[in-house]
Amino acid sequence: MAEMVRKSSSDEILNHWILAGSCILLIITGFAFLFHLEFVGSVFGGFNFMKTVHNWLGVVFILSLFYSMRHYLKDALEYDDDDVQWFKVAGGYLSHKVKVPPMGKYNPGQKLYYLAIVVAGIAIALSGFGIWLLKGNTTVMLLSHLVHNVAFCIFVIAVPVHIYLGTLANPGTFQIMVNGMVPLETAKKKYPKWIKAVGKM
Amino acid sequence: MANDKNRKAILVTPEDCIGCRGCQVACKSWNQLPGIKTKNNGTYQNPPDLAGAAFNIIRYNEVPSTENPVRWLFVSRRCMHCDDAGCMKICPAPGALYRTAEGAVAFDRDKCIGCKLCVNACPFDVPRYDAENKVTKCHLCFDRIGAAMQPACVKTCPTGALKFGDRAELIGTAKKQGFKTIYGEQDLGGLGTIYAFKDEPKLYGMKENPTIPYSVIFWHTYLKPLSVIGLGGVVAAAAIHYLAIGPHKEKDEEV
Repeated sequence: MAEMVRKSSSDEILNHWILAGSCILLIITGFAFLFHLEFVGSVFGGFNFMKTVHNWLGVVFILSLFYSMRHYLKDALEYDDDDVQWFKVAGGYLSHKVKVPPMGKYNPGQKLYYLAIVVAGIAIALSGFGIWLLKGNTTVMLLSHLVHNVAFCIFVIAVPVHIYLGTLANPGTFQIMVNGMVPLETAKKKYPKWIKAVGKM
Repeated sequence: MANDKNRKAILVTPEDCIGCRGCQVACKSWNQLPGIKTKNNGTYQNPPDLAGAAFNIIRYNEVPSTENPVRWLFVSRRCMHCDDAGCMKICPAPGALYRTAEGAVAFDRDKCIGCKLCVNACPFDVPRYDAENKVTKCHLCFDRIGAAMQPACVKTCPTGALKFGDRAELIGTAKKQGFKTIYGEQDLGGLGTIYAFKDEPKLYGMKENPTIPYSVIFWHTYLKPLSVIGLGGVVAAAAIHYLAIGPHKEKDEEV
């Protein structure tokens, strides 16, 4: 059996699934509120209970997002020349013939995605708490409602891209969110700078 | 639906109102609303504003001038039953606020989820919440008018300051009688509570050019469609990418 290298720790995988699960449920219930999707409401026994679920899932989501910072935030804030070059070749996604520069543990697309989720996540959580808890203040309510929906648009556009790139577009990547392991030979090709940094190449 | 033939309305004529507040009492009676304990704050207007147990009030507008030092305008305040209703637009719970066949904006408290977005999106600050945190407001007595009766407030009004009927007819008659302004004829797609004024609406304490908050209009016009188009767009783009360019293969990495 090929030698494997651990890319994600088990607490990272668990937290990512909590983040992903709450996020997807929040998006589904969010769409149900936005477009009066009664069949979604009936799954939760009505919109009243769905509201409670949505609110508390929001709490789970933001706590999970904060916890994820220990896994991703440091990497997401560091960029080098290879990252610039990565954008110039669109990460190799628009053509398989271009040369993709060597990457570290995460490519800049992933890093910027994470920062976008952090910013939009904090915005959607704060505005969510505004709608939930500050009902008496019209300015807060209407501003929160607007921010909540702008952030929602960011989520529904960014999250499916992340899911596609983490599954179909990059075979083998999904495995990392199951057991955290990558074959060393694959990792050497995909994340050479990280593998060098951990001293396996 | 709007201003079609079936749309009913209440026409308020402040100059005909004697401020007896029979309408307030009749409303409470029909809707089984409790009394509210209030304090004398130097006016006969009581309660001071709409409340969970007060679907309509008479505003006692004092507008003294040199010619008429005791001019007192009694203006019925209640839900305006907007054709383009901010409350209905923003409400996330299907059926909690709904349009009746007569054009009224009615509510179903069992479906209300208590988010209070309607309160904040109403151009007229009308919806209130009851003790159980459910939306409540004037519903144009949809249960009465559906049975060919008049709304309770209109039924009890002794002077005709409140009139109920076909919206188009009420407007036509008021215009023929020479009223300068029919407030609510065009606002927000046409209101279901309309006012026959002899003077500027401002004098009667009415909001000029009422609108749904711009953030709500922006959300409704752009953000709602963007969320669906955005999601659909990226899913379609991913599918096209998968078919046209295809996933990364290990071999590619060696190029």
